[in-house]
Amino acid sequence: MDALLVSRLFTQLIETNAFPLAVWETIYLTFASAAVAYLIGLPLGVVLAVTGRGGLKPVLWLNKAVGIVVNIFRSIPFIILMVALIPVSRALLGTSIGNGAMIFMLVVAAAPYVARMVESSLKEVDAGVVEAARSMGASTLQIVWKVYLPEAKPSLLVGAVISTVTILGYSAMAGTIAAGGLGALAVTQARPSNAQDVIWLCVLLIVVIVQIIQELGMYLAARTDKRVRVKGRKNKAKETK
Amino acid sequence: MIELKNVTKIYPSKAGDTLALEDVTLTVPDGSAYGVIGLSGAGKSTLVRCINLLEKPTRGQVLLDGEDVGAAKKKRLRELRRSIGMIFQSFNLLEQRTAAANVRFPLELVKTPREEAKRRVEELLALVGLSEKADAYPSQLSGGQKQRVAIARALATSPKYLLCDEATSALDPATTESILQLLKRINRELGVTLVVITHEMKVVERVCTHVAVLGQSRVAEEGRVEDVFSFPQSEIAKRLILPEALRSAAGEGGPKLRLVFHGETGNEPVVAGLARTCGVEANILFADTRLIDGKSFGQMVVGLPCDEAQIAAAKRYLTAHNVVFKEEF
Repeated sequence: MDALLVSRLFTQLIETNAFPLAVWETIYLTFASAAVAYLIGLPLGVVLAVTGRGGLKPVLWLNKAVGIVVNIFRSIPFIILMVALIPVSRALLGTSIGNGAMIFMLVVAAAPYVARMVESSLKEVDAGVVEAARSMGASTLQIVWKVYLPEAKPSLLVGAVISTVTILGYSAMAGTIAAGGLGALAVTQARPSNAQDVIWLCVLLIVVIVQIIQELGMYLAARTDKRVRVKGRKNKAKETK
Repeated sequence: MIELKNVTKIYPSKAGDTLALEDVTLTVPDGSAYGVIGLSGAGKSTLVRCINLLEKPTRGQVLLDGEDVGAAKKKRLRELRRSIGMIFQSFNLLEQRTAAANVRFPLELVKTPREEAKRRVEELLALVGLSEKADAYPSQLSGGQKQRVAIARALATSPKYLLCDEATSALDPATTESILQLLKRINRELGVTLVVITHEMKVVERVCTHVAVLGQSRVAEEGRVEDVFSFPQSEIAKRLILPEALRSAAGEGGPKLRLVFHGETGNEPVVAGLARTCGVEANILFADTRLIDGKSFGQMVVGLPCDEAQIAAAKRYLTAHNVVFKEEF
């Protein structure tokens, strides 16, 4: 390859198969963090939606408390949160560097974000449907499981896509604590040796990953939504005539 | 039997309290079809929600077969709610479930075994005439079909009562008619007691045996539909029952009588009789016939000459021929 067009680092990285590894690490960091973030954020979102004013079971102090914690974490810029979490990570995981620590930090940053996404999805569920379920003697838990979550599923999926892409963006800062992925490759290796071609390839790969997540997620969301079938639309149009 | 005793509901707010119901007392007999009619904002929706405690009365009691609903513990309240089905103006179906799965929903809540639930769902969809739409989603159904699914769903747990909150207000006249017929059949054949909330007199006429007229948060009058229809006492009931055009002309022209015919008197040639027998030339200002609870009811408003003797003669004639009349205007 021509040294003028392709940097030495680029050739090196190709030879060591570094790009596929970085792609894999980015995907792994993103999805592992998103999964754990939902494990925490989904219940928090349900609590926020259910205990709020006008919610299914208003418990205002709890709603306020969760809301404040969520807001605090959401207002700290991720790079600062990472630095602040270094001692916490060391205490909890025994390390503050590498992929494990990175996932921990991504989860702490993303879970509150996820909670708000879930809350807003659940609040879109028609209040009349919830009232109907109450009139049938459904308990609060039954309404959450059988009405809120299934009825909000398409909207929750859209939220998950947005959250995942946001986490992917955060994961680019992994290099700061010696974790891997495309972001780390671009920032910690390509930047210092001024290998523009490596940086651009990282950017391109990230764009492709985001596109795939976005398209796939939206396709799934549209497919699960029983309200927007073409046939249904036709019926609606007829009714309004 | 559903009894409301001195039920008052106040919605507090910063801008001031809103009185939705004031000292409402009424009894819904078992097997009846009880209409609650009133203009919008009269408190009808609040009233029906007080029955299954979707709204908690500020004061007063709601008794279900003698049991105080307001005193029921959470678990008991949920049981009570299962004995009261409810349907809504906006249908409120679960959009992500098929028609069959919507009907199955209340059965899932009480953990009915799969096979039994499946059988029950088929039965109910057949009852409302929607067997072939079992796998359709609500977005693929018309308004009338959605309401049928909602009715099937409300009946899934075999409730003793069915609350209908403006159930036909979002439907066109033909669909309204078919839904009303279905409700009537449910009342007659399954013996389900109906509470029908509406702002349309027509709905009460078609379905109900009893009616309460709600005006400004209070029960203005209550009774059997034919009685309230024949002799509306309150201002609000008159407004709902008597023809608008005549009310606005009240006091103008000569004396007017409102004649009410039911059943056998409907066949008498009264106006001809008045002219022939008493020489009173009555002027027909308004006439219509309505079907109330399956029986035909007629009303006629006639203008009479301004002559005391003739008016007295006309009244004597009408009384002699069992025609119910009243000076309404």
